Amino acid sequence: MEFIYNYLSGLELGPWATSILFAMAVLVVAAAVFLVALTIAGFLVVVERRVAGRVQSRIGPNRVGPFGVLQWLADGLKLFMKEDLVPAQADGPMFRLAPYLVMVGVFAAFASVPFGMLLIASDLNVGILYILAITSVATVGILMSGWASNNKWSLLGGIRSTAQIVSYEVPAALSILSVVMLAGSLQMSGTASSPGIISSQGGWPWDWYAFYNPFTLVAFAIYFTSAVAEGNRTPFDLPEAESELVAGFNTEYSGMRFAGFFLAEFANVYLMSAIATTLFFGGWQIPAVSLAAQAASFWLRLVGLAIFVAKAAVLCFVVVWIRWTFPRLRVDQLMSLCYRYLVPIAFACLAGNAVYLLVIPAGSTVDNVIHWITTGSFGLLVLVFLWRVRFHIKRSGDRLDFDLLARGEKGSFDPAIQARPYGKFRRRHGKESA
Amino acid sequence: MGALVNYFAAIGRSFVTLGDGLAVTFSYMFRKPITIQYPDRTKLPVTSMLPARSRGILEMDAGLCTGCTMCAKQCPIDCIHIEVKKDEETKQRMLTSVIIDAAKCMFCGLCVEACPSGAIRHSHEFEGAMYDVQRLMLSFVDQPRPVAKPPKKDAEVVTAPLGSFVRKMLYPADRQGPPRTGGGSP
Amino acid sequence: MSEPTQTGAQREELVLNMGPHHPSTHGVLRFVVHTDGEIMRKAVPEVGYLHRGLEKLAESQTYAGYMPFTDRINYLEAMFTEQAYAMAVEALLATEIPPRAEFLRVIACELNRIANHHITLGCITMDLGAYTPFVYLLRERESINDLIEALCGNRITHNYLRIGGVAYDVDNIWLGQLESYLDHFEPIINEFEALIVGNEILIKRMQDIAVISRRDAVAWGLTGPNLRASGQDWDVRRDIPYGAYPQFEFDVPVGPLGRGQAGDCYQRFLVRVEEMRQSCRILRQCLAKLPEGDIKAKVPKMIKAPKGESYASVEGARGEMGCYLVSDGGKNPYRVKWRTGSFSAMSIIEHTSPGLMIADLVALVATLDVIAPECDR
Repeated sequence: MEFIYNYLSGLELGPWATSILFAMAVLVVAAAVFLVALTIAGFLVVVERRVAGRVQSRIGPNRVGPFGVLQWLADGLKLFMKEDLVPAQADGPMFRLAPYLVMVGVFAAFASVPFGMLLIASDLNVGILYILAITSVATVGILMSGWASNNKWSLLGGIRSTAQIVSYEVPAALSILSVVMLAGSLQMSGTASSPGIISSQGGWPWDWYAFYNPFTLVAFAIYFTSAVAEGNRTPFDLPEAESELVAGFNTEYSGMRFAGFFLAEFANVYLMSAIATTLFFGGWQIPAVSLAAQAASFWLRLVGLAIFVAKAAVLCFVVVWIRWTFPRLRVDQLMSLCYRYLVPIAFACLAGNAVYLLVIPAGSTVDNVIHWITTGSFGLLVLVFLWRVRFHIKRSGDRLDFDLLARGEKGSFDPAIQARPYGKFRRRHGKESA
Repeated sequence: MGALVNYFAAIGRSFVTLGDGLAVTFSYMFRKPITIQYPDRTKLPVTSMLPARSRGILEMDAGLCTGCTMCAKQCPIDCIHIEVKKDEETKQRMLTSVIIDAAKCMFCGLCVEACPSGAIRHSHEFEGAMYDVQRLMLSFVDQPRPVAKPPKKDAEVVTAPLGSFVRKMLYPADRQGPPRTGGGSP
Repeated sequence: MSEPTQTGAQREELVLNMGPHHPSTHGVLRFVVHTDGEIMRKAVPEVGYLHRGLEKLAESQTYAGYMPFTDRINYLEAMFTEQAYAMAVEALLATEIPPRAEFLRVIACELNRIANHHITLGCITMDLGAYTPFVYLLRERESINDLIEALCGNRITHNYLRIGGVAYDVDNIWLGQLESYLDHFEPIINEFEALIVGNEILIKRMQDIAVISRRDAVAWGLTGPNLRASGQDWDVRRDIPYGAYPQFEFDVPVGPLGRGQAGDCYQRFLVRVEEMRQSCRILRQCLAKLPEGDIKAKVPKMIKAPKGESYASVEGARGEMGCYLVSDGGKNPYRVKWRTGSFSAMSIIEHTSPGLMIADLVALVATLDVIAPECDR
């Protein structure tokens, strides 16, 4: 936005004209950001359903559009055409206002998300602080919807959610503080003249803040957990726990009001992934390309955008994957996790980072060695994980389309079909592998 | 000291067990999904994918019916209505009406077991959703016809393919079924 | 109900209705929950929303014609209800069941036990928030449904057993398919354990929650896995042997297994996982020892049981499934009364609920494996 303002001032049209043109430009940019965020949220709905399907050995939606990518349009259209119900005893104005507050809380934060170098709506010099603050507005919306629904279950959901979000702000902020300490700035993107969080990192994994030292790795884990908790996602989705509260604070909502909550939740997933990418994974930095080179070339900036989106997409996948694997925590366990585990450890990481900054000079050999060791151990963890994945496939077999009645070309009861081997990984017949 | 050990042991246990769970779900991304995309992307028509003993909607081959009404007597919920009248001139027992209420039928198979000639049987059809429940009163006899003789033990019984009688009633010209693969039903 | 606190302010109890329409009550069950914030004072169950009059219906059906109705008393473990009824009638008729029929009954029942535990374990994890294990177990259950469809024609309401034996015979192809299924399924139990049974979050949700002591379990009439998880070693298959079970070797899992104390939710969960393994073991022994012969004894076409009464019970997947039959000599039973495991489990919920949180009530109901059709009949 500063770019637009400077350009308009440069035209020297007089104060009134400049202000009006600037206001119009602001509206256009805001609408663009909103639409981008909305599209991302919609697309993420489809991605979640397809990933959920593959994780559960089924196909997700695949009929609307190629590979089902237009499913969100069909869902949106359906929600748009639904009856707009407001319960008779509900608190009308608050009931109607709540979805908007939640949406504002989430979509306004997209103004400061650094999609690429110079591709950010507003590179505030207090960027990350602004994002933390504006996402808290959603809490008020959730509490309002819980209260205004005139439904005891919604009330329970709203209260639980408020307690959860407010509590998990603390470890989130503490882990962000570690990164801010390292970067020396609250600015999200940054340029050569005013250094920001991304511009202080580099392109290679060992230049990222996640692998700066073990303390920041733990800080990333804490930030990720807190962000998932703030987004009301499983394993922290007790406020909208389907099996207990039907749908928690959004039980009574239908049609576009429900769509508001729904899209806000998915936009929040992308937002938390984007913030984690910015803070911990180097954002739009390209390996082996300097900031000046990226600033000069439009195509390199586009590559940076693609890299940013790819990193955020990987983190979104992790959020969705976690949702479909774990059960949910009970409310008191959730609080105990926050205050007894996350907050003390986040403080410890903050202290550790501070000591690290004091003792070890940035850019020295020791510093680099520690970067490489942290990156290496994380890589080792990933390898161990992949080995375990292979173990599971070998143990249960990869041909889980175990089709007893041989629904193949030859029809039922064909013994020859039953004799086929189970894909490449042959299972040991009859014996139990521990 | 013990509490501190427990604290870190809990964190360690969490990582190991949660990581193993994540490994299991991630491994499914590499395995083939088991979904059969019914009814239009199946390899064979659905009715021929069912096992031989599968109990679908009842049908009766009126040409084989001996008029013993054992099926109607065995049915626990009286969904089979058979009328057998003696013709005045020829003194022949005539089968005048066979109506099976498919909406009531609970697919237990007791009628099929009781039938001596194999006239009544379960087809493999199961898509009987209609807008009007009266359309599910399936009638298998248009005109009165003489009853058949009970077949001798181990005699070969000649009948139409399974489902050919009931399909005419389930899929008349004015009811469009779902899109389906290959043959099997219109 | 308000009560004054120390500061003089009024505290009220929140009365919540976990109504018949609820994603986590298994079937149409209703709980009126009196809570103080998150902690419950008590949860009062209300039953009867799925009452279909199955016991009264017996009085207007013939003995053979009532068999499909017994399926519907508990459609998830239909073979057990069929067997209990068939055994009750056969006790009155004093018929001798052919050995092959007994083995086929055991095969059907143990397959049904595994299928039922799929649903139970899946629903427990689903109620606690993990949706994926439920889908995996449903996928495994599909194979069992296919097997049973090939065996008797229907996936759920089987009508497979008859008075005097079973209705259909098996061939070698089906037995081969059953063996392939067992080979495929046993590693899946291990995978299920890796995915969710050892999961720290699940353990925190279920360990030491809603402990039912052994004394309470026996006093309130719990049976089946619920009773065994509380530490009481009782299994109808072993202690009141029936059918072909004396010829098989199997372990009866009794709590506490692994971590935790006997009688908590986690033990009820673990006992069922282990029972699936033991059922696989029994099935393999059946496959090895299946004798030749008839599948049904000779019984009259129109069964008229002599005057008298009989009680037959089997070890169902949810507890002891008992059928009390009174006959007056006619062709319809005079009275059929069912004793089901879920009804006793429902009655203990009000006793166990004070002090639990609402989320724990969900865990308790799920692990007690209460389902509405068995409770209400």
